[in-house]
Amino acid sequence: MTEQEIVDITNKVFEESFEIEKEKLKPGAHIFTDLGLDSLDIVDLVAALQKSFGINIRNEEEVRNIRTIQDIYSLIIKLNKKRK
Amino acid sequence: MLMKRVVITGVGAVTPLGGSVHSLIDGIESGKSAVRFMDEWSCYCGMNSHVAAPAELKDEKNIPRQKRRTMGRMSIFAVQAAEQALNDSGINLPYIPSGRMGCIIGSTTGSANSINNAFNILITDKDMSRLPSGMFFQCMSHTATANVAQYFGLTGYVLATSSACASSLQAIGTGYELISLGKQDVLLCGGTEELHPVVTGSFDVVFATSVKYNRSPHKTPRPFDKERDGLVCGEGSGILVLEEYKHALRRNAKIYAEIIGYSTCGSGSRISQSDEKSIIQCISEALKDAKVSPGEIDYINAHATGTLQGDKEEAGAIRGVFGCSVPVSSLKGYIGHTLGASGAIELIASLIMMEKGIIYPTLNLDEAGPDCRGIDHVTKPLRKELNAILKNGFAFGGVNAALVCRKYNNSSQDFVL
Repeated sequence: MTEQEIVDITNKVFEESFEIEKEKLKPGAHIFTDLGLDSLDIVDLVAALQKSFGINIRNEEEVRNIRTIQDIYSLIIKLNKKRK
Repeated sequence: MLMKRVVITGVGAVTPLGGSVHSLIDGIESGKSAVRFMDEWSCYCGMNSHVAAPAELKDEKNIPRQKRRTMGRMSIFAVQAAEQALNDSGINLPYIPSGRMGCIIGSTTGSANSINNAFNILITDKDMSRLPSGMFFQCMSHTATANVAQYFGLTGYVLATSSACASSLQAIGTGYELISLGKQDVLLCGGTEELHPVVTGSFDVVFATSVKYNRSPHKTPRPFDKERDGLVCGEGSGILVLEEYKHALRRNAKIYAEIIGYSTCGSGSRISQSDEKSIIQCISEALKDAKVSPGEIDYINAHATGTLQGDKEEAGAIRGVFGCSVPVSSLKGYIGHTLGASGAIELIASLIMMEKGIIYPTLNLDEAGPDCRGIDHVTKPLRKELNAILKNGFAFGGVNAALVCRKYNNSSQDFVL
């Protein structure tokens, strides 16, 4: 999976699961303050990412540090490399 | 103890005839049936009834996503009906003191489709991590009332009367009692329900559903009719604003009617069947609470779902209390049995009848069954001044409920009776 594919799939999760317009999905967008997600949304975000990428991220320590969309891209890219 | 008076100042509904009270009344006045063949249920073996009265789920995205994620189908119906009722009442929520306004909204279970989806994940995937965060809030028994309270920021009583088909009439009755006691000033009361094959299937296995009219759905259900063969499930929500009388007067609210009597009781026997004797007790107690005699009731909106046994028992009870002196009709022929929502939706339609001075007839009642005769069936629209009405509602579990309302007279600012 390419990095662009990871970006596209992650963005699709935000669009489909959280009804967020494409234009708002900038790498630096803060998922709480800019995109309006809350603590329950994080539960669904983790589940949606796990389903979309087929990887387990729930128990990854770095999940707790996610603040921006770029943080998510980076985490998935890292886990994807590890999987290879 | 001085009891406070309770009035109805707002109504809202989502029903199989449309997403408003207006569409409900329009449909009834046109003699329309919302019952249709459920092609999508053909995959279930062992299901004999393939008819239902679905409501259309629409405009749900007007509810912000973070509020909507905890709502199943029935909670969305309830929020939409509650919003209509609040708008109709003209209540300005920020002006209600904290803790003085709440909601009581009942349903048979939590959202059936959400429960289905949750167990589908658990049974098929055996993967708990796939459960969405909002799933439990959609499945819990008080899902509708909790979601309505959250959506409107209500800080008073938040109760759910989960008593199957008597849920919403018990919700309204409980609201009446709480406001009478001075515990609350305003309550959103009613019920909500959603279609699911398991719901119809549950009635099907105990031979309570209509099975003979799968290819002619508009001919069923047939309350009190000699050719009736069972109930047809419907869905939707009906919500009423109940308000302390002086509170309503102070803000010059439109008053639909005053609730003057209520009773609920159990039959103590026969969990799946209605019982004439205990229905008589329930109606008699409601009339006593209202301080009216049977002769003062102008119209009875029957529970009558079209089942062989239930209609017989209710007709017997009405005959026993009122004889043939009071017009009776059931609205199930138009919208099916909306179960936990039925009491509220049908009470709302009855309030409109009261306002218009007309009684809507029982659709599909061509000839009363021998066991349902001896009461005054309304089979054509009937013009009549309705000053006092009785609404019946019964449920699995041997649960009975009866509510008495009387008309509000604008000119004298007092009540007719």
